[in-house]
Amino acid sequence: MFGIDFSKIPNLLLFDPNDPLLFGSSLFFFLFFGLLVFYRQFAKSNNARISLLIVFSIYFYYKASGLFLLVLILNAVANFLFGREMGKAETQGGKRLFLYLSLLFNLGVLVYFKYTNFFIQLLVDIQIGQLELLDIILPFGISFYTFKSLSYILDIYLEKMEPTKSFRDYFLFVTFFPNILSGPIDRAVDFLPQINKKYFLSKRDIAFGLLLIMMGLVKKIMIADYISLNFVDRVFDSPERFTGVENLLAVYGYALQLYCDFSGYSDIAIGLAMLLGFKLMENFNYPFKAKSISDFWRRWHISLSSWLLEYVFRPLQMGLRDWRKAGNITALIITFVLVGFWHGASWAFLFWGLLHGIYMAIGLLVQGPKRKFYMKYNLQNSKVLGAIQIFITFNLVAFSFIFFRASDFSSAVNVIKQIILYFKPSVFIQFVESFTPTFVLIFLGFLFHFLPSSLHEKTTELLSKMNIFVQAIILTIVIWLVTQVQYADLQPFIYFQF
Amino acid sequence: MISDRLKKIICDELYLDPSTIEINDETEAPQVPGWDSLNHANIIVAIEKDYGVRFKGLEVLKCNNVGALQALVDSKVSK
Repeated sequence: MFGIDFSKIPNLLLFDPNDPLLFGSSLFFFLFFGLLVFYRQFAKSNNARISLLIVFSIYFYYKASGLFLLVLILNAVANFLFGREMGKAETQGGKRLFLYLSLLFNLGVLVYFKYTNFFIQLLVDIQIGQLELLDIILPFGISFYTFKSLSYILDIYLEKMEPTKSFRDYFLFVTFFPNILSGPIDRAVDFLPQINKKYFLSKRDIAFGLLLIMMGLVKKIMIADYISLNFVDRVFDSPERFTGVENLLAVYGYALQLYCDFSGYSDIAIGLAMLLGFKLMENFNYPFKAKSISDFWRRWHISLSSWLLEYVFRPLQMGLRDWRKAGNITALIITFVLVGFWHGASWAFLFWGLLHGIYMAIGLLVQGPKRKFYMKYNLQNSKVLGAIQIFITFNLVAFSFIFFRASDFSSAVNVIKQIILYFKPSVFIQFVESFTPTFVLIFLGFLFHFLPSSLHEKTTELLSKMNIFVQAIILTIVIWLVTQVQYADLQPFIYFQF
Repeated sequence: MISDRLKKIICDELYLDPSTIEINDETEAPQVPGWDSLNHANIIVAIEKDYGVRFKGLEVLKCNNVGALQALVDSKVSK
């Protein structure tokens, strides 16, 4: 009947390590649409609505990670209990005890899954011991949900919130499917109060959510996947086969790819959450418009950078405040090395983080003289200066991404060598001729990025004035368009590996 | 209520003219021009020096606005 092979349905719903439920897939949209229909039906009963969301979230995570679901459940149970007991503790020492227990538990689990083999390799390399690497698989999203849970514990400790009494609410916060695999790393203090609010969507909310989902799909599938498969991957796989100018374009292309991949994912996550009545925190704010590295970090992966600012940099900075500038610099370097290490247990990521720490430290050292210089020549509002700052910042960031992308240190060095020693600018014309669609996409990607941000607001406004059926037609057209351009199977999101 | 003394320390540290800046109990750091996460420590050190007090790191981290900072200063001075 209808040509549907029902025997395949169980397979679609069961865990398959090679087939997680990706946001861009048609199965996901089909299931999400089904969820929305029931969710709206249950809108009047909070309990039913939230339970439905929890069941869907568990299924979503199970589909991606199988039995690692148990680690996620353990995380939710343990942190709910740590939070509750910390709230009950009457002395500062008691609160501190539960803080340490929670840190030990959360970081212990994270370090075991993510960093054990890195440290074993380190011990072997410095010839301290003869150990075998362990067969450890990293559970999807563990870096994200661990940090989500830690923010809950730390905010209770810093007296920014009271522990929740509802395990159901806390469980939803930890397992909420839109942000479970790759963030945004939402804060309990913002998320929990939204759970029991009446489910209501304004026309603007719907338009906002739909626009983000559409933009996310375009960014991910039309731009990131296309330029990566057709150009960036080829250059980074064997940089020595390409000229310097091609390597440079691949470096710029990768910066755009990474942004479109990750911010595309975040857009979809925030859009889906919005349609379910939840406002997640912003994760990207036109990062390549940044005029300095510190400005960049206020715009790139905001949910992580603000997390580290709040819970790592500030405490370190306070502890080292008597060292004045040296204290600030030490705190910056440690924080950014941790940013690198959060992304993965490799020297390249550590170096990438260190590089940003050094950028920030230099920025801090030249801050005073720079301000005096700008004031002397009245340059504070100069548009030319602004453009130069954006250009320099972008190039510093793109340079650091070479280490983020390259499979190891030496291939990163190869990319840089090719750019410096074999630049050959005349090849640029050949590149445009032979990689025309890639070139056009890179150009358009950056062009859209640099359009005024008010355009987004205006488009949301326009979409919100449209009838729901027109909105549905537009969404269908975008999904259709995206699948037409789709070059191969949907590529896994880059940030899944973290 | 934010004392003139505290306001002056903050403004001096940020090269601001106190007469042009409004700081009240509810004011949060990012609302004051130049008060960013990097020079936050300088402001805290300047306050400690001026009042001759010493804060615990956690006490400062718990302050989420200038009102809380004023209360912290008051609690230390009255000891």
